[in-house]
Amino acid sequence: MNAHPNLFLADLGSDLQLTPATVRDACLTIRRNRDAWLARLRTRQIAEIIAYTAEQWLEPDNGFRARLLHESPNTLGIGPATVARGLDAFFRQLTVENLEGLVTQDLGDAKRLDDFSSGVVEIRHGRSALARGPALLGHLTAGNLPVPALHSMVLGLLVRSAQFLKCASGSSLAPRLFAHSLAQTEPRIASSLEIAEWSRDSSDLDAAFFSEVDCLTATGSDEMLAEVRSRVPVRTRFLGYGHRVSFAFVSGEMLSTYSTRRLIRDLASDVTAWNQLGCLSPHVIYVQDDGALSPEGVAEQLAAELARRETEDPRGPIPLADANAILARRAVYQMRAAVAHQSTERLRIETAFRDLPSGVRIWESPDSTAWTVVYDADPRFELSCLNRFIYVKGIRQFSELLSFAEPVRRHVSTVAIAAVDSRAIEIARDLARWGVPRVCPVGRMQEPPFPWRHDGRPALGDLIEWTDYETA
Amino acid sequence: MNDPFPQLARRISKLIQSFRSGHSRPDPKGFEALAADIFAAQFEHNPAYQTWCKARGVTPDQHPASHQFPAVPTALFKETLFTSIPPEKRIAEFRSSGTTSQQPSRHVHSTDSLALYRESALAHFEQHFLPDLEELVETGLHEPEDKPTFISLTPSPGVAPHSSLARMLGDIFSAHGHPDSVFVGRIGRDAGWEIDFPRLDEAFIHAQCTLRPVFLLGTAFNVVHLIDRLVDEDRVHHLMEGSRLMETGGYKGRSRELSRPDLHGEAHLFLGLAPSGIVTEYGMSELSSQGYDRVAKPLSKGQYVPPIFTFPPWARATVVSPETGLEVADGERGLLRVVDLANLWSVSAIQTADEAIRRGNRFEWIGRATQSEPRGCSRMSL
Repeated sequence: MNAHPNLFLADLGSDLQLTPATVRDACLTIRRNRDAWLARLRTRQIAEIIAYTAEQWLEPDNGFRARLLHESPNTLGIGPATVARGLDAFFRQLTVENLEGLVTQDLGDAKRLDDFSSGVVEIRHGRSALARGPALLGHLTAGNLPVPALHSMVLGLLVRSAQFLKCASGSSLAPRLFAHSLAQTEPRIASSLEIAEWSRDSSDLDAAFFSEVDCLTATGSDEMLAEVRSRVPVRTRFLGYGHRVSFAFVSGEMLSTYSTRRLIRDLASDVTAWNQLGCLSPHVIYVQDDGALSPEGVAEQLAAELARRETEDPRGPIPLADANAILARRAVYQMRAAVAHQSTERLRIETAFRDLPSGVRIWESPDSTAWTVVYDADPRFELSCLNRFIYVKGIRQFSELLSFAEPVRRHVSTVAIAAVDSRAIEIARDLARWGVPRVCPVGRMQEPPFPWRHDGRPALGDLIEWTDYETA
Repeated sequence: MNDPFPQLARRISKLIQSFRSGHSRPDPKGFEALAADIFAAQFEHNPAYQTWCKARGVTPDQHPASHQFPAVPTALFKETLFTSIPPEKRIAEFRSSGTTSQQPSRHVHSTDSLALYRESALAHFEQHFLPDLEELVETGLHEPEDKPTFISLTPSPGVAPHSSLARMLGDIFSAHGHPDSVFVGRIGRDAGWEIDFPRLDEAFIHAQCTLRPVFLLGTAFNVVHLIDRLVDEDRVHHLMEGSRLMETGGYKGRSRELSRPDLHGEAHLFLGLAPSGIVTEYGMSELSSQGYDRVAKPLSKGQYVPPIFTFPPWARATVVSPETGLEVADGERGLLRVVDLANLWSVSAIQTADEAIRRGNRFEWIGRATQSEPRGCSRMSL
């Protein structure tokens, strides 16, 4: 890494020929270094190192931040303005208060990782307990979105684990920059971190890696997780995070002239955040059709807002295959929209439409694939091809929605809702019973609070093991 | 309603005939004039295409140049039928192959459109795969009256009636094939294509006994199946000098996937085929003309020629930016778009999903531009 010392395997670039022995050696080294230093820190000390580093990242002229933004179009395929917005949302939350708050939330007390301590019930029975993180925590990071990997690193630091991140080829830049920035705050921290890249075909490297770690987190498709899980030794804890989808619901009463502008802005923020590539980004926006503005009207205004966003926060270039997916998807809806509009033509054109389309409209960025809004009267859930391609679908009432979204029920991460407070809590209850792990307001889909329960599980709590101490 | 298509078909035929006679010269003006008339006819008689053109805001009265014709993305052929052929005249339907359970693309044909398809396919094939028949006679590999012995690894058109490739190969057999020519492919239990190996062995042995070169044809995965079989049986089968191979169509998940140099390397090793005798064809069910990456010259020990594809003069391939829809600069990547005049009764302007690099007026084919690796964690299949 230019201007920074080579601290990690991934800093050495593609010249490095990794062998299973290198991977094992690296694991032993960071494990030993962790025992010598990191394991002895207190939560407050670690939280301060992280929080200080995060503050640096929020400075516009911070070197690490500037480097990541500069390279984001090439390495992430996402424009700098979009990345900056996502990084700010993440680093703003890394305060000492939030970091300690997560420990309290998941473990019951901020000092649980420092020494034996007791909750109310434990005191009554003369017990106390100490939480321990895995000595060596491995991460298989996926995709090109940087924040999930950084989030994992922060959790690992909080539980004092030596950490080895195995990144997909070409995706280690953000973790490396974050690790270097931590090392700038506290040089010893780097000695318990390792970051490496290798391709999926290197199963001998995987095997060495899997056999060394005490706990492995992995993010990827269900197939990938199943494959990894089958190769992890049985005593090694495995935490798999599968692909998820999200959607939004707007209730009719929110569509008054008064509140619509803000609502549209919030919806546009959800669509543009991380170019819609995250699990928390919406595929479909369901709009109740009894409001002052029709679902089609919402789609039209959202399109205008996305056009405006494109000037200040452009989506940026994307891989050819992604652009091709958008073109193909657009063509299908352009044709359906045209057929829906030309009632005389409908009888002459032979199609394999499930039903002849009625009520389809499409708005798209001119001369680019930058953004697309499809209004489709068919309320069935549809997966978007992402990169700022959003479906808006009308719905009579909320209760119908869950049946239309049934095919993705077990894959949902976040549902954003726009509704008056009294309605919102009822909707949230229904969503909770249906199995949704996170309900949030529109506009905040990609900005979960730092202590959020990832996929409905306590992210920090899942990493640790306990030592119970029963006094006589 | 007056039917403009027979007269347009004759004009395309004329282009093809002059190409065949070797007297064709580049004639951009002639191409544009014919393309404009074809566009007007397709707009008028092909209701789905008219709807598409109106949606794209381009109509014949604006006199668009051929690169401005609204190109129909291949994805659209899966749910809409683009044709000017009335139902009672349809005698064949080509469908896209694929591994998914999705709707296939459909391209319907009449007697007339199949005749034009045949004429277009044969002319360009002859030029790229059979340029040296006289040379074979001169070198004693063929008798003067000999015709090429084709062995197609695909099923015959009778067995695979919806395959445009099988149809084309059937046309080639009937126009140029020695009576010993044979289709050795069949439909497997999983509905995919496979090779009937006993029949293939028989055909190879027969060719060996008659000392004639073999003109091998098939999909890329067919060829890999053949090589895998030779590897399994620990043998090689060196074909006669002058033998050649035309492979096409990618792998579709039906076999190991090899890069083209690797595929050609293995074909050389296991079948004794000279790299200069291996031709890659680019074709699809939505088109009526094909591209080729080189002219087969198995007898020449010429230098390596990079695989750059050309379409015949009655079709024009361009590489366009998926963002702007405009042709990319030379050497840049984009999506392949073809204006194929022989696609007369369907739609001439086709937007493929294939990634290509522009090389002047020709192109280097990279492969299908599909999202193999999910970029976001939100991408999943249901």
